[in-house]
Amino acid sequence: MTSAQGLPLVVIACQVFQSLIETYLPEGMAKLVTFKDYGLHRVPDKLTWSIQAEIDSIKDPSLIMLGYGLCGNGLKGIKSRAHTLLIPRTDDCIAILLGSYKKYMQEFDATPGTYYLTKGWLESGSNPLQEYQEIVAKYGEKDATWIMDQQYQHYERVAFVAHNQEDLEKYRPKAMEVAEYCKRWGMRYEEILGSDIYIRRLIEIASSPGKSDADFLVIPPGSEVTQDMFMR
Amino acid sequence: MSEIFEKLSTAVLEGDAEKTHKLVERGLKQGLSPKEILDNGLIVGMDEVGARFKRGDMFVPEVLMSADSMAAGMEILRPLLIESGVKMLGKVLMGTVKGDLHDIGKNLVSMMCEGAGFEIIDIGFNAGPEKFIDAIKQHQPQVVGMSAMLTTTMRAMGQTIKAIEEAGLRDQIKIMVGGAPVDRDFANAIGADGYGSNAPSGADTAKQLVGAA
Repeated sequence: MTSAQGLPLVVIACQVFQSLIETYLPEGMAKLVTFKDYGLHRVPDKLTWSIQAEIDSIKDPSLIMLGYGLCGNGLKGIKSRAHTLLIPRTDDCIAILLGSYKKYMQEFDATPGTYYLTKGWLESGSNPLQEYQEIVAKYGEKDATWIMDQQYQHYERVAFVAHNQEDLEKYRPKAMEVAEYCKRWGMRYEEILGSDIYIRRLIEIASSPGKSDADFLVIPPGSEVTQDMFMR
Repeated sequence: MSEIFEKLSTAVLEGDAEKTHKLVERGLKQGLSPKEILDNGLIVGMDEVGARFKRGDMFVPEVLMSADSMAAGMEILRPLLIESGVKMLGKVLMGTVKGDLHDIGKNLVSMMCEGAGFEIIDIGFNAGPEKFIDAIKQHQPQVVGMSAMLTTTMRAMGQTIKAIEEAGLRDQIKIMVGGAPVDRDFANAIGADGYGSNAPSGADTAKQLVGAA
């Protein structure tokens, strides 16, 4: 049992987790749920300011469940103020979508050069094909191709992570369209069935913070999130 | 005089390689030294690129175009810098650590170090500790630079430094680290000698480490 027990719950999460959180968060459990734009992680400083602004706008001391990992240091420097923060202890969303830090490390060790696609990312339009389409208008084909090559030429695999057969089938055509474009760098296409266990445990711990373990960070009031909290 | 420097830094900032190339040639014709053109034009432009990128006012495609413009300028200046007898500062061995396939930042730092007067030995990306150790033995650099783009892979920097220590090579080199997720605290924690927050500061760090700054 921690002092966070009994505090009102606020959820601030990346859109990439929206459908998972909406599936498992019991109705009425959180007094406020905010999903934030996927694109924020592209500029970690903006992610920091944006989450801090959300935290600062909450008046009553609360338990704030953050649906984020370290996200390229986007969470570094976040101050808890009068609140208690609950954060998955992962580098980014991929470990959460795969179900565990261990699973992510297995995938990472096997194929470090993996570009992950998820339902959320496919819906938001952030993927190499979309990036190319966005920059070709500005730079022309030759420069746009060069820019893309510089960023992705060493990647080996496109991995589409889905949480059920239905999503897999629904988003497969889009995923394969991206994969087809990525073939220019010799990337292969694979599908991985993700797991909802990390999100389910996050929600479980939000209802009883005393159950937290090494996969989560519970940050007490008056503290600051640091990078080394995530290192393991 | 300052007008051409301003135009040059703007050309780099705007990612206009052709214009950069022309302006460097014009500067040389006007009698400016390669070193002045580099320090007051190209590098000033790249400093601003670094600042804007950090603020989110510039994104990767624009940074790449700027780097390409800097490279276009460097192509002319490189032989002249060597010829003009700018003192060579030593060797920098550069690599992106194991598990990390990103080399844009490493290549940028290499270019900056080259401009500052270092010879570069580039061991590429996804370079394991053994690769660093073998290259240190072979090339005897003064400085070893390690790059990582992800929080997932920055841990490999500490592991690489440990392996270098165990190989008995730590005392003969200075180590600098950098990359998007790396900060000074982390650099200190893993026992690096220096840290650069962006490409120009990577080159400054290398200079400091060999006592040339």
